[in-house]
Amino acid sequence: MNFDLSDDQRDAAAGARDFFTGSVPLSAARAALEGEGVPAPGRKALADIGFLGITVPESAGGAGGSVLDLAVVAEQGGAVLAGPSLVTAARAAVLLEGAPDLAAQLADGSAAIAVLDGPVTGSAPSIDAADATLFLGLDGGALVAGEGEVVPGRPLDATRGLARVRLTSRRVLAEDAGGLWERARQVAAVVLAAEDLGAADRAVLMAVDYAQQREAFGRVIGSYQAVKHMLVDAWVGVDQLRSLVWWAAWAADSAPGELPLAAAAAKAYAAEAFERAAETAVQVHGGIGFTWEHDAHLYWRRAKTDRLLLGDATEHLDAVARLAVGGALG
Amino acid sequence: MDFDDTPEEASYRARVRSVLTDRAADLLHVAPGEPVDARSREAELRATQGVLAEEGLVGVTWPREYGGQGGTLVQQAIVSQELARARVPTLVNHIGIGMCGPTVIAHGSDDQRSRYLARLLRADDVWCQLFSEPASGSDLAALRTSAVRDGEDWVVNGQKVWTTLAHVSDFGILLTRTDPERPKHAGLTMFVVDMHAPGVTVRPLRQMSGGADFNEVFFDDVRIPDSERLGEPGEGWRVALTTLMNERVAIGGAGSDIGQSPEALAAHARERLPALDPERQALARQAVGRALVASLATRYTGYRRFTTLSQGGVPGPEASAGKLGGTAAARLVADAGVRLLGDDAVLGATADGDDTWQRAQAYVPGIAIAGGTDQVLRNILGERVLGLPSEPRTDKTAPFSTGGRR
Repeated sequence: MNFDLSDDQRDAAAGARDFFTGSVPLSAARAALEGEGVPAPGRKALADIGFLGITVPESAGGAGGSVLDLAVVAEQGGAVLAGPSLVTAARAAVLLEGAPDLAAQLADGSAAIAVLDGPVTGSAPSIDAADATLFLGLDGGALVAGEGEVVPGRPLDATRGLARVRLTSRRVLAEDAGGLWERARQVAAVVLAAEDLGAADRAVLMAVDYAQQREAFGRVIGSYQAVKHMLVDAWVGVDQLRSLVWWAAWAADSAPGELPLAAAAAKAYAAEAFERAAETAVQVHGGIGFTWEHDAHLYWRRAKTDRLLLGDATEHLDAVARLAVGGALG
Repeated sequence: MDFDDTPEEASYRARVRSVLTDRAADLLHVAPGEPVDARSREAELRATQGVLAEEGLVGVTWPREYGGQGGTLVQQAIVSQELARARVPTLVNHIGIGMCGPTVIAHGSDDQRSRYLARLLRADDVWCQLFSEPASGSDLAALRTSAVRDGEDWVVNGQKVWTTLAHVSDFGILLTRTDPERPKHAGLTMFVVDMHAPGVTVRPLRQMSGGADFNEVFFDDVRIPDSERLGEPGEGWRVALTTLMNERVAIGGAGSDIGQSPEALAAHARERLPALDPERQALARQAVGRALVASLATRYTGYRRFTTLSQGGVPGPEASAGKLGGTAAARLVADAGVRLLGDDAVLGATADGDDTWQRAQAYVPGIAIAGGTDQVLRNILGERVLGLPSEPRTDKTAPFSTGGRR
């Protein structure tokens, strides 16, 4: 057994950390929320460094990498609340397996692509649709691409670029695409869980740092077991989430039969572990954590949003139970 | 990344599997989750371990010079997995192999090693660990059982408790206080004690789950020769840490499940879900799904720790997270399992006498206490992994006789 990242993946994660740390100040998330900016680093920067094409085949101009390769990068983007999300890159790369021209445009950023959840005649709020110009959707069992009318709505977390879309044109890319669509959504759930892993990890670290410095009643608050145990529970959640994300990403690449179970488990766990991490971060900071100026609520907003995207915990827990009862655990 | 055996691991596993098949007639087998009473099945349990020792499957990681196999932690994990797969119960001397023996190896004399270790591996002697006391559980270094030097012997008085297997044990490692005028950690000394010596009284304790796996042990003027001391007088805490570190290795785990497995819950749900009202089925699936996810999260986290071991690493304090997560998962799994029983959930067993899930439920509170309470584990993780300071303490420096107060 070797349930660990490879040296190349560790290097890629370190490189991604440097890139995201250098290109995404948390002030960007706040500015986007205030309507005074757009999510950083933005689509072009992500395309230029090659992150949008990690899982696009080399023949279509991508890196031909694995979902796990993408997940370790996505984790680093999640840590700084980067936008747009690599969820869309991962999901569109699956959907465009039969459309190499479009896949190439996804990878090099020349097409601003978003994937729509719900009916293409009026979608649910969909990730990074707000500034996209080409939309992929499922229409009566067929995979379609088209242009659309975009209605963003007031954001809870502006880094997600959520918008409702009504397609105004559509062409069929593949008939009978239900299975492909489902697999793409599972891969998307894994990458969303990976971004949540990075964000949850950062929220816990932020709270631990504060608990090591803030004093009350004569000593630092992290020495009180009431505070310490909250932080530990949040950290254990992050540690366990990492295991599920790796397993699910590995399954996407190497054990497709395990992907539905693993993706549902990772997404369900991510929803709750990230939410707990973010709420713990606010609580441990006390009053300052409840202010607009503090960064804690930026993570809290991401957690409250992500937990519901691509299916909430209720949906995924139900899927885990149904799959296991159906024999998915072997 | 992969979950496969390496070629070496695969061939080792094949050898273990063929031994367990070839010797099946000489081994005790039990159904999954079936409780095994050490007292009533003592002879079979000892014989089973003897056979496995003969085949080189006991003390896998022990050095060869002490009768072990000089193997790796991965090989030990493979043996454990294959024993579970073959439905051979946990080795009767698991505490001796995992904790007492390694302590004797590290701190015992050559004479002690030659007298004890080979017999321990064959289960000719069963061992127990005499640490906890009525007034020192989580705070182990507060123990009061005294050992007073008298010529070539030490005279021991006091009481130990929660001692697993004491009722079938021949020897134990015993942590005592030999100098109450020194601070609590500095006045301790470790011994090997003969459990059949005059003055040793063992009384089984019945657990809330109904079974009796552990005991209270009384010491009344029990004489222990100085040659049975492990380590120097006053060094008992350091010796005990060896034992506890080995405990961490023993339970650090290769993703083994605490309590009922997710597979068992899934099979149970497959059988029981259709009998529930449709609306309740949806709610039950939520509970089952949540329990399975918690269980899988713990299992795959265990695989990460196991990978660290197989790369030659040692288990660090983060191993405590495995037990904390495993306990939480066991609680959810047991609860989901009981709820699936419908009306039978309020009874101690189903109409056909099956109490698998009720037993799992009653076992959970013990898991959350034994081998480090949830609260102590959170302190360990908070202080040693997250780097948070400990609560202020006065008991580390004051003489024990003052009650830890200056």
